Amino acid sequence: MKNVWKLSLVLFLICAIVAAVLGVVNELTYRRIDELQAQKTAAAYGAVLASSEGYETLCDQAFTVSANGQKVKILCISRANNGKGYVVETEVSGAQGNITMVVGVNLLFQCTGISITRHAETSGLGANAASTAEVGVNFRAQFKGQDESIALTREGGAIDALSGATITSRSVTNATLAAILAVRDLA
Amino acid sequence: MMEQLTRLLSISLGAILINNFIFSQFLGCCPFLGCSNKVETAAGMGLAVVFVMGIASAICYVVNMLLVALGLGFLQTLAFILVIAALVQFVEMFLKKMVPSLYAALGIYLPLITTNCAVLGVVLLNVQEDYNFIEAVVHGITGGLGFMLAIVLFASMRERIEFSEYPESFKGFPISLVTAGLLALAFMGFSGMKIF
Amino acid sequence: MNFRKQLKEGVITNNPILVQQLGMCATMAITTSLFNGIGMGLSVLIILTACNVVVSAIRKIIPGEIRLAIFVVVIAGFVTIVDLLLQAFIPALSASLGVFIPLIVVNCIIIGRAEAFCQKNTVAASFVDGVTQGLGYTVVLVAMSVIRELLGSGRFGGGLIDLARGLTLDGTGAGIRIFPEEFGAGILTLPVGGFLTLGFLFAAMQYALKKSAEKKEKAAKKLKKEEASEA
Repeated sequence: MKNVWKLSLVLFLICAIVAAVLGVVNELTYRRIDELQAQKTAAAYGAVLASSEGYETLCDQAFTVSANGQKVKILCISRANNGKGYVVETEVSGAQGNITMVVGVNLLFQCTGISITRHAETSGLGANAASTAEVGVNFRAQFKGQDESIALTREGGAIDALSGATITSRSVTNATLAAILAVRDLA
Repeated sequence: MMEQLTRLLSISLGAILINNFIFSQFLGCCPFLGCSNKVETAAGMGLAVVFVMGIASAICYVVNMLLVALGLGFLQTLAFILVIAALVQFVEMFLKKMVPSLYAALGIYLPLITTNCAVLGVVLLNVQEDYNFIEAVVHGITGGLGFMLAIVLFASMRERIEFSEYPESFKGFPISLVTAGLLALAFMGFSGMKIF
Repeated sequence: MNFRKQLKEGVITNNPILVQQLGMCATMAITTSLFNGIGMGLSVLIILTACNVVVSAIRKIIPGEIRLAIFVVVIAGFVTIVDLLLQAFIPALSASLGVFIPLIVVNCIIIGRAEAFCQKNTVAASFVDGVTQGLGYTVVLVAMSVIRELLGSGRFGGGLIDLARGLTLDGTGAGIRIFPEEFGAGILTLPVGGFLTLGFLFAAMQYALKKSAEKKEKAAKKLKKEEASEA
């Protein structure tokens, strides 16, 4: 029995040392990590709806919107301080887990651009939606100027799906639609 | 209520078929390749994994809530792996005393589960996907079922491959990997499936 | 200390992946671009070396009964440190490797080396072992990445190399295009490709090891014959 106490003491001590070291490393890095995250979000905001005067958060309580039968989570809606429109953060389930993306919507309830901030789609297929290569840029460019009638070409709309990634394309389209609907309801 | 049920169904189907832990996420490949010589051992390993993944998902959900509440999110990996190691030990002792028949069946596979990345993987994914308690447990159990399905299928294929002809350099491990690749190809067919 | 011998062991004759068959999950999962392959390889190299040193330094004071638990704690500690550092300084790599960074904890290579080597050897030898085994791991990852990327999407060095900017660490390098993407066997970039590529690499390794063993045997036989004829 005495042995058990000794063993647990040793294990506890080692855990404590490791935890302390991790605490120090965390202390050193967390500010930078938060900053990077903020920068990334800011860059995404700027890419979809530029506003040199910044953004004002209108609603950061997540709620769901149904777009073409798919549930889309609206995480946060902000207004651009230059009066050009709104920026919406959305989350939608793609082919392989959730896709988080930022959608810009102008005062005519048209999409001004989209930017995918997090996803786990299949590389080479669905992941192209977020890629910086030509195929990704062209895919995302189609969303600019789309309004509530947004849909994939096979469903009568104007968005060409990525080849081999209909589900991802549909999710991104539905998330954009949900963002437009959410802004319209709010405005 | 109905919505919750469809969501659970979607998580289950996803974990078993569409995002199968082995064939699309590469979690748990070591035991998958190591313990699949015979169908019986494969089934035993699969069962043990279902068991541990289910319980680990539940406990780690609570542990994660505690860590987040205390602002110690960076200790996640450390806490999870300790929970899993302790859990495996505990399950082993419990089964040995209470259900000796199951203990005998699972035998040496239990301790091996500690280093099965599917178990750590599922609890990390639960956190990443922001699942609630019930969803996390369902994800854990069905993920284990997906692992079991994969390993049993694979073991039965390997038993047959033993007797077929192939280049000598492929003997043993390489041919198993190629077989697993073809199996993964079949599982890719599920990736078009989506409930909603 | 015999660095060259250990290097040869780590990279070729006792390669952690191709010979010891350890740590395959990440090997197949993340080798879709050179950026990922090198990033993962170097992360594992650093963690492995650090764990080897610590484990061999404390090998005399840890009780045998709970040594595995202690190894796991030490490994988890280093993995979290690397994870945090990557998030802070190379966020693109951290995003692209995702859950596979924390999963290095259960990468059998690290716990395997701790158990098989560091428990019985000095700190210096364990350090060298960490570096050489880590290099062996990295070499295989790089080979897999290059093969899958080249045949799958006709590129070389995606994420890491950009013709206009040289080396890029933010994961946005376009890589060098060898042939148009349409002609690539896209399947190699999918999970299936991971299994197939590793299978073929394994087969090539078995073939090479067998050939060199045969060669040695022949040479030995020849030597014996000569000795016999001299006698």
